[in-house]
Amino acid sequence: METNQIEGKGSLVQKGWWLALLIIVAVVTPFIISEFYLTILGEALIMSLLALSFNLLFGYMGQLSFGQAAFYGLSGYTVAMLMTKVHFNFWLSLLAGIVMASILGLVIGYFCVRLRGIYFSILTLAFGQLLFFVIYKWHDFTGGDDGIQGVFPPGVLKSPINYYFFILVVFIFASFIFWRIVNSPFGYTLKSMRDNPERTEFLGINIARYQLIAFVIAAAYAGLAGALWAPFYRSMAPSSLMWIKSGEPVMAAILGGPSLFFGPILGMFIMTFFHAWVLGFTIFWAVVMGALILIIIFFLPGGILGFAEEKFKERRERNKQEIANFRSQIAD
Amino acid sequence: MSFDVLFNQFMSGIARGALLFLVASGLSLTFGVLRVLNFAHGSIYMLGAFITYSIWKHLLIPVVGFYIATILASLIMAGIGLIIEFFLLRRLYSRGWPEQLLATYAIILIITDIVKWGWGGEFLSIPRPKPFTGAVFLFGFPFPSYNFFIILLGLALVVFLWWLVYRTRLGDIIRAAASDREMVSALGIPIPWLFTWIFVLGSLIAGLSGAVSAPFGAIRLGMDIEIIVECFAVVVIGGMGSLPGTLLGSFIVGQVYSFGIMYKPELALAFIFIVMAIVLIIRPWGIFGRPER
Repeated sequence: METNQIEGKGSLVQKGWWLALLIIVAVVTPFIISEFYLTILGEALIMSLLALSFNLLFGYMGQLSFGQAAFYGLSGYTVAMLMTKVHFNFWLSLLAGIVMASILGLVIGYFCVRLRGIYFSILTLAFGQLLFFVIYKWHDFTGGDDGIQGVFPPGVLKSPINYYFFILVVFIFASFIFWRIVNSPFGYTLKSMRDNPERTEFLGINIARYQLIAFVIAAAYAGLAGALWAPFYRSMAPSSLMWIKSGEPVMAAILGGPSLFFGPILGMFIMTFFHAWVLGFTIFWAVVMGALILIIIFFLPGGILGFAEEKFKERRERNKQEIANFRSQIAD
Repeated sequence: MSFDVLFNQFMSGIARGALLFLVASGLSLTFGVLRVLNFAHGSIYMLGAFITYSIWKHLLIPVVGFYIATILASLIMAGIGLIIEFFLLRRLYSRGWPEQLLATYAIILIITDIVKWGWGGEFLSIPRPKPFTGAVFLFGFPFPSYNFFIILLGLALVVFLWWLVYRTRLGDIIRAAASDREMVSALGIPIPWLFTWIFVLGSLIAGLSGAVSAPFGAIRLGMDIEIIVECFAVVVIGGMGSLPGTLLGSFIVGQVYSFGIMYKPELALAFIFIVMAIVLIIRPWGIFGRPER
């Protein structure tokens, strides 16, 4: 199943030049664009971490989680509440957010990893909505639908451009670790569970345990995104835990291509900028998003990167064929 | 705790369960035959409630207005179901379930915005229609008679679906298609046609339940996701695609919700999910379901 394979180890090194180019673009762009687009760019980076979190479960492990917003939101709320209510240290708050998300991941994951397919999606959705309702209804503690305002990052990070660079550094570091994880023996085990769970089990691998570890890692990544988000947006609202938020990484992964490392990131960038652009002229962005999803499902199966790769492969095959034909003609 | 309080909670749990059965039966039927989990089932329910409100408001017929609006809204939702199945879902049966799920999720987004655009974000309500405005007495305790209307409707639907699935030729085809789609197709039965009609029937039931839910509580945005999450709990507990399972699941969730609200209103939903999680761990395919092959 070569087409189904996630990008191999060599390709990232081979493509080193365009990765360097991307990083240069990411460093230079904030000095050129307006503050509005800088905010969108920062948001896209943070949300890309959420998309990576989702795709560890979906693209690599083959399980569709519809509840990643729970980890994202819990972490964001942890950071926001620690910083505003007890004036906790910024860095320790971020860490606490990620730890809280991981613990929640361990609890929810314990139940979810026993399930496959659509049942896994339903249970993650149910747990996500459960946490949303708890935070939404617990007005005394969480502020209910008012949310939490005034989450300010410390000193030098207060300026948007500095916070952007902070996000960028964390993002590059986190995605490098992510890339190492999915290309480790652990990552290959996840892929084998996706492609053939029975055979993997016969090899003596405890599927539930591996899936639980992956679930916790994904929760930690979603937690990282939430922890970065709260001080970036300076507030947290219960809508950040809603199922619509959980749907965003699902859309991003399928839009960009879940079978490729950069697919969900590309999808999230397109979605975030598209969202900002649509909101510029209509409040009915959901209908536009819905139409976009349908268009992708019908016309771009495999996502944008998946589609591009397929075309690229086709062309390479055709070139090979032509060379072979040419050779056989010469031989004749 | 006195008997009358418990009995009261029990009866309101029955009414809640009946409404859940109305919605979940359509979801379960569609899943059982098409093997597509329709995320947008709750949105069809919500749109049905809003359309009922508008028709009822424009008709201004005193007694039967609500019932006419209910029937018309159900038919409109059946038509919308036809459009969704014929133009969207039909093209996705050969694809993976994640794409089907995402497509129905897209429909949720679209319907949400249609409702926002057409009705705004306000809470709307319809007064209880005659002759279900008053209370009835059961063992000397008063209950809203509209609850009994919902319960009766739920029972009628149970009987109808049972008759349809177990006593008609179409029911034979439905059960055969649920267990072996290819074999049914090989026997010369047009599967696409069957799928279309099942989806239309599911949408009709969703529209109907949305319509009758209107005098039961507020008509508002967000009622779609609330009901669909509870319906997921129902079908997961009872077993997806199983009629007796959906009935039992609705009963359990209705009761858990009703007694949960009495105990701690904020956690009513949590209790439902705890029950659901327990069932999923012991019997992942539900009480009446069968394991996936």
